[in-house]
Amino acid sequence: MKPIIRIRNLSKRYYVSQPRIVNPTLRDAFMETLRGPLRRLNGSDRANRDTLWALKDVSFDVEPGEVIGIIGQNGAGKSTLLKIISRVTKPTSGEVDLYGRVGSILKVGTGFHHNLTGRENIYLNGTILGMTRAEIRRKFDEIVDFSGVERFLETPVKHYSSGMYVRLAFSVAAHLEPEILLLDEVIAVGDAAFERKCVQKIREIAQKGPTVFFVSHNLEVIRDLCHRVLFIRSGRLYSDGDETSAIASYVGDAAVG
Amino acid sequence: MIAKPVLRVNETDPQTTEASTGAVSFLSSLPEEPLTRIRPHKSWAAIDLKEIWAHRELFLLLTWCELKLRYKQTLLGASWVILQPLMMTIVFTIFLGLFVHPPIKDVPYSIFLYAGLLPWTFFSSAILSSSYSLVSNGKLIRRTYFPRVLLPLAAVGLRLSDFIISFSFIFVMMPFYGIRPTASLSILPIVILTMILAVIGIGTWFAALSVKYGDVGTILPVLLQICMFASPIVYPASIVPQKWRLLYYLNPMAGIVESFRASLFNLEVNWSSLGISFAVSLSLLICVSFSFKRMEDEFADII
Repeated sequence: MKPIIRIRNLSKRYYVSQPRIVNPTLRDAFMETLRGPLRRLNGSDRANRDTLWALKDVSFDVEPGEVIGIIGQNGAGKSTLLKIISRVTKPTSGEVDLYGRVGSILKVGTGFHHNLTGRENIYLNGTILGMTRAEIRRKFDEIVDFSGVERFLETPVKHYSSGMYVRLAFSVAAHLEPEILLLDEVIAVGDAAFERKCVQKIREIAQKGPTVFFVSHNLEVIRDLCHRVLFIRSGRLYSDGDETSAIASYVGDAAVG
Repeated sequence: MIAKPVLRVNETDPQTTEASTGAVSFLSSLPEEPLTRIRPHKSWAAIDLKEIWAHRELFLLLTWCELKLRYKQTLLGASWVILQPLMMTIVFTIFLGLFVHPPIKDVPYSIFLYAGLLPWTFFSSAILSSSYSLVSNGKLIRRTYFPRVLLPLAAVGLRLSDFIISFSFIFVMMPFYGIRPTASLSILPIVILTMILAVIGIGTWFAALSVKYGDVGTILPVLLQICMFASPIVYPASIVPQKWRLLYYLNPMAGIVESFRASLFNLEVNWSSLGISFAVSLSLLICVSFSFKRMEDEFADII
């Protein structure tokens, strides 16, 4: 079948630390400009900078409707992969072709504004995630229902308890209906009961047909939701297969390393 | 790749069958060409206007939220927008008007000042707020995709709404000075458009710079202060010596403020200064749209 996502040789390089100062001032930038050519002359420019390949040569195809789990240790490059697919950051090399609309939740509650009311935040957050106003209006009652905060719709969210806040945020995100959905650690946000509700909701969404990328450290949930799992290790695609084999290779790797 | 069922069948879930039919519509509608091609950073490209247009709802909502936030916890609300230039007018009227006596022929000094401080307040406040707009929305930039330029644009949008309020107040003031609006008001849209172009260009550029360099926030107010004295706000442009005129008018605010007054008070319009302002503002905007695109791709990594 024709893939909905085509990823070829995707790499992302970050410069970590010195001699570049993390938050440079104009003076630093000026001095750097003066020193730059000198350093390039004696060839130490690249050597001095520690580079980190957050992703290196990652290639794979995704068919429409696949629910893909992404696992790997912290800093392995899982989030970087989602950030590139969602266009938050550009790859250093390689290419990605997307044949569908992408919706992503790289962090629950992004774009919530503390001084705005619940109602206002539903609109703001929904639009930021890529919904149109008409879409939000149509799903408004559903969003409110799922979140269970209808009594506090006109209250600024800064007065919400953290649970209410998270529920509302997840609820907005869960009603986004893109063809490709990217979820980064979205369930690790509430109490156990709400977590179950979230997993249930994600399963429901997945069954409507979109392609889902699901990053999580919760292998239980990955095993439950996904039928293909990518294991990323130090920026490389280490294993790609069904949930049992990929998780086994991840667990085995963690036990050794 | 092993062929796998597209959907994981879950016996416990009664919705499965219904949902599977829904999936068909998703699968059959794959486009021939990719909707999005993600490629490494290109160093030369202009801002994608189509992309901005596609996100117009987000732009309106960002502006609207800013407006809402602004008036939520203030006592005087919208009246601040008028009070701010008005208070400046009073201060300058007293200290400059009474002690320095600038050579103003056509209108009383106080309304001369207000008519200068109006566009100036818009110019400086819009540039300041757009310069903060990216840094203060760092979280949003690190976690969601949208054309980044919407943030400085929304900041300008907010200040433009302020300007409309403080601007209408001048029509309340004018009768007290016996000044009647005339047909020369018709050039005002061109003047305001020029000003908006200048503000977007300069504001967006400083916004992008301040992502990279922390000291932009410190130096920008100083630069604006200098620019205020290099513009005919508290004095008429006529006191600038002839040999400095050309240099003077390269500051787009010089021509804008002058023409703004000319159109309100029915004075002679200095078309060449307005023309220079327009040309400078437009070329700034074009340069910035390239330069912004160059820096934009890096924002999420360094903010």
